[in-house]
Amino acid sequence: MSATTETRPAPAAATSTDTLEGKRDLSICWWITVVFYGLFGVIFVPLTRLMPPPGPDMSTAQITEYFQGNRTGIQIGFVVLMVAIGGAAIAAGLIAYQMTLMSVSKIYAYSYITTLAVGALPGCLLGALAFLAAVFRADTDPEVLVLLYDVAFLTFVGSLGCFATNYLVFAVAVLQDRNGIFPRWLAYVAIWQIVTEVLAAPVFVFRSGPFAWNGVISFWEGTILFGIFLGALIRLSRTAIRRQPIEAVA
Amino acid sequence: MNISAQSISLWLAAVFGTVLVAAFVLFPGFLPPMSPEMSSGEVAEFYAENKTWIRTSMVVFDFCCVMLLPLFMVVVHHIKRMRTSTDVFAYCYLSAAASGATILAIANLFWLIAAFRPERNPELLVLLNDLAWITFTAPVGMIIAQNLCLALAVYLDQRPDPVFPKWVGHFNIATAVLTAPAACAAMFKSGPLAWDGLISFWLRLTLFAAYIAVMFFMLRRAMRHEALELQRAPELVPA
Repeated sequence: MSATTETRPAPAAATSTDTLEGKRDLSICWWITVVFYGLFGVIFVPLTRLMPPPGPDMSTAQITEYFQGNRTGIQIGFVVLMVAIGGAAIAAGLIAYQMTLMSVSKIYAYSYITTLAVGALPGCLLGALAFLAAVFRADTDPEVLVLLYDVAFLTFVGSLGCFATNYLVFAVAVLQDRNGIFPRWLAYVAIWQIVTEVLAAPVFVFRSGPFAWNGVISFWEGTILFGIFLGALIRLSRTAIRRQPIEAVA
Repeated sequence: MNISAQSISLWLAAVFGTVLVAAFVLFPGFLPPMSPEMSSGEVAEFYAENKTWIRTSMVVFDFCCVMLLPLFMVVVHHIKRMRTSTDVFAYCYLSAAASGATILAIANLFWLIAAFRPERNPELLVLLNDLAWITFTAPVGMIIAQNLCLALAVYLDQRPDPVFPKWVGHFNIATAVLTAPAACAAMFKSGPLAWDGLISFWLRLTLFAAYIAVMFFMLRRAMRHEALELQRAPELVPA
């Protein structure tokens, strides 16, 4: 039915190129994506030390000490994030554009864009804002610090639906696509990530162990998988950009 | 796999929408809705006693509420099929849906954070509880923008066989008008406008559920008409 109604023709072999020439726009977006996720790693791991996360079972005194000890790193890292977060939108736009080249309805690309628009706020910025508020004043009540600590980690690790929906529409689009924009195995990795989101649901219950927000399942498995997925997505979108024909150059 | 993107998107909303109704029933704070006048002691007791069901039901909300977005994207597709002078309302609708879903995705996190440490200082529990209820109830502007954009598009659709019948426009206008007063939940502690009131809670949520259900059936109808149309005139397939 509408699988055929909203179809784009496959790029004809004759017009296909294997070059980045004439695709400066896509190339720029690709490089912004690479730089953004590079910065993302630097901000979250060595600078703010939000990853790997300290546990929910830290005492009030330990949490206070954690914020005081990391104050400079948190401020530098997340102030940079306040500017850099826009890179997430550009990364989403780049992949959504690739999805519009698939032989599938644009509805998937719309869903991809909107679910990531949701994810950027509770799934990334809210946690950073809670950290910034926690270190803004030196004399904040320790109980309030624990609250901000919970807000940061539970929103960062516990925003499930936006990313699950995003992986789902991406996976279905890749599996239905007949233009071969992305390989099918990338869809299976995305589906595995949906499972990972489900496995992260217990972070709202456990304060230690594999299902806590710093646990082997909820944090390490999910983060490593996300790293693999992201690396593959970036690498494969480079290939996709090289292969696709130049659209109308006015 | 020949199931269309529209079918998949609509069934996602139907399945997860049903799950959301179940989560609504399971949340101990909805039947009946918690009063904004509860004392800090009562709020602390509520979280201590009901933490398991609060967590279970709100994790389900967390996971499922964004699954409604693909249905809204099917609406975007059909607004683009209408014969109006431009596609502008489709993109306005898309943008409002993204922000509206963000609000929903944040509200349930406040309930989950409150239930994570029920032994927290009761004053902070009240703060989280207020943030959850106010975020969940008051920011109605995005769904109102969706309703109005869709209604305007329906009214301006010049097709001889309109994508949606005119009553869908009226229904969306009515939904927008009746949803708007819920914004006042941010300032009333009792009465029909409070977050547990007849207007801000029962009417608003019933309308939202009805909106999803009505759009589900109207979109299926529009999808079938689109398929028939393309069978008759395949050269009209947009590139």
